[in-house]
Amino acid sequence: MRILLVEDDRSITQALERALRTQGYSVNTVADGGSALLAIEADRPDFVVLDLGLPDMDGLDVLKTIRGRDVELPVLLLTARAGVDDKVAGLDCGADDYLAKPFEMSELFARLRVMERRLTTARTAEITIGAVTLDINHNRVTVDGEAVELARREFMLLKSLMENAGRVQTRDTLENRLYSWGEEVSSNALEVHVHHLRKKLGASFIKTVRGVGYRIDSA
Amino acid sequence: MNSIRVFLVVVILAVIALFSFLAALRGYQSSMLEAERLFDKQLLDTARLIANIHTEHTARNIGSEASLAFQVWRGDRLVAGSRNAPERPIAPFGHGFDYANFGGYRWRTAGYLDPGSGNWILVADRADLRYALAENVILESLTPTLIGLPVVGVLIWFIVTGGLRPLRTLARELGARQADDLSPLAIAAPKKELEQIVTSTNGLLQRLETALLRERQFASDAAHELRTPIAALKLEVYNLARDPGTDAGLVRELERTVERLGHIVEQILDLYRSSPDRYNAAFERLDLDGLAREVVAEMFDAFEHKQQVIELDGAPCPVLGDRFALRTLLQNLLGNANKYTPAGGRILVSVARNGDNARLVVEDSGPGIPEDQRTTVFERFYRIGRDRHPSGETGCGLGLAIVKRLVELHRGSIRVGSSRFAGGAAFTVSLPAAEANAAAPRERATERGR
Repeated sequence: MRILLVEDDRSITQALERALRTQGYSVNTVADGGSALLAIEADRPDFVVLDLGLPDMDGLDVLKTIRGRDVELPVLLLTARAGVDDKVAGLDCGADDYLAKPFEMSELFARLRVMERRLTTARTAEITIGAVTLDINHNRVTVDGEAVELARREFMLLKSLMENAGRVQTRDTLENRLYSWGEEVSSNALEVHVHHLRKKLGASFIKTVRGVGYRIDSA
Repeated sequence: MNSIRVFLVVVILAVIALFSFLAALRGYQSSMLEAERLFDKQLLDTARLIANIHTEHTARNIGSEASLAFQVWRGDRLVAGSRNAPERPIAPFGHGFDYANFGGYRWRTAGYLDPGSGNWILVADRADLRYALAENVILESLTPTLIGLPVVGVLIWFIVTGGLRPLRTLARELGARQADDLSPLAIAAPKKELEQIVTSTNGLLQRLETALLRERQFASDAAHELRTPIAALKLEVYNLARDPGTDAGLVRELERTVERLGHIVEQILDLYRSSPDRYNAAFERLDLDGLAREVVAEMFDAFEHKQQVIELDGAPCPVLGDRFALRTLLQNLLGNANKYTPAGGRILVSVARNGDNARLVVEDSGPGIPEDQRTTVFERFYRIGRDRHPSGETGCGLGLAIVKRLVELHRGSIRVGSSRFAGGAAFTVSLPAAEANAAAPRERATERGR
């Protein structure tokens, strides 16, 4: 996987480059927005890790320009601005994820893995975690190669959890994905779907965080 | 004299009294003068009358009213006179008026030389009676003023009170302000005299707000400046840890130091951001329960890392608040629970409506907080056991101070007690609940945060 790192702080660039290489990523580094746009054209990276504070132009403008040319290219924002508004602004401009400085390296790797999985999913339309493989295009799920029948909402729920494996998905988020706006959701609807999924996929595949939501481990 | 109102009333009353007195004095003087002239003329007329009716045979010591005395002298011989006049001349022989004392009274005297007979007619009337009359006149003219003065005083009191009302309105407006409210004074069409005060005050407020904004800008700039090197430091330590040649213990120590540095910077920035004016405008309707879920989900890795079991027992609980502030509050309480609860411990978060309040409780199975430190623990830079906390965790003692401040911003309260798990701490936050109606159907906004 090739990553374009757009960051003007040399100490971060160097350390990040080394850390990412240990994880098997190939890293190309630029220090300003103009070079970033050129590098994207020339090198066609798989991901962009973009710092918002750049010397020549606002990182959000760089992001908008990227989105104007390539809707699919995954972009992870790095920033020292950590307010909710900044986050929302970043995501509204089309960022795939957002990480506030100072961040844990493991957190960055986790986010990159999620983006990677989405990318693979977009290409192959398949997510595999453990024994479970989810085929998005054909709405099909297999466990150890054996096809499993899922109801429509069970499939959507599983897809949402597998796409975000490693992170807890809150009940609110999952309900938003499963049900349309204003639709009446009975309080235990989600539990019922999870219960059914567990019966079909094995009891330990989906973890419960009581009162909060659900999670599927990433590896 | 501390009250403008009392000052004005007293001074105005004093001035009115003084002028009334001066006017009375002037009236007294002029009426006295007028009366004197009148009486003198009368006295002289009396003298002429006596001269005309006097004959050679007029006896001496003829009766006379007590208020009038007269003598008729021919040369130095007293030829006639009233009984109350003495033997000696009661006035000098000469035209004109004078005063004399006899018979126990003071008299006004006049001399008249009768041109027909060549007799001197001397007449006198009592001076005290003249004054009594004039005093009567003056007293009567003064009476209405004396009676009216208290009435005027009361009237002035009300008028001054009315006149000072804009001042009191201004004082009330200023007094009722929140310490953090720097919006301009909203006084429509202030009186001319107050205009200057209102303008100056608004100017001051404006400058204060600008200064605060600049400081906040500084805080946000400082955040950027500090976070980037800390991030770099973290990355270097991460790389160092993976270098096979390094001392693992040293790296761990380094990791903890960097962690602590980052933590202190974040806490100080949070504290800065929790200055009251940051939030007032941004209050919105939020579901405390949903917010708690969101924060627990984000922090889940930290709990899992310590094999802690975290559970949330929530019920829909709308509050009016600032999203960022309430998230910071939750992050701090949960961060503390995560930090100070030993590995394998339990953490229970409950959100419930309690009457008019939304109640958030964060309980853990950690060492708890000793009873005698349950107030001081909210003070800035206070740490239980100083830097030798039994958990071995390092902090900077700002987390709970920030939490308390944020709770106060939301007009809520926080207290710490014992948790349901043996010995642990329980932080209970009460916030005023928003009305329960329209229990915001699953918030879409949370999805953008994913």
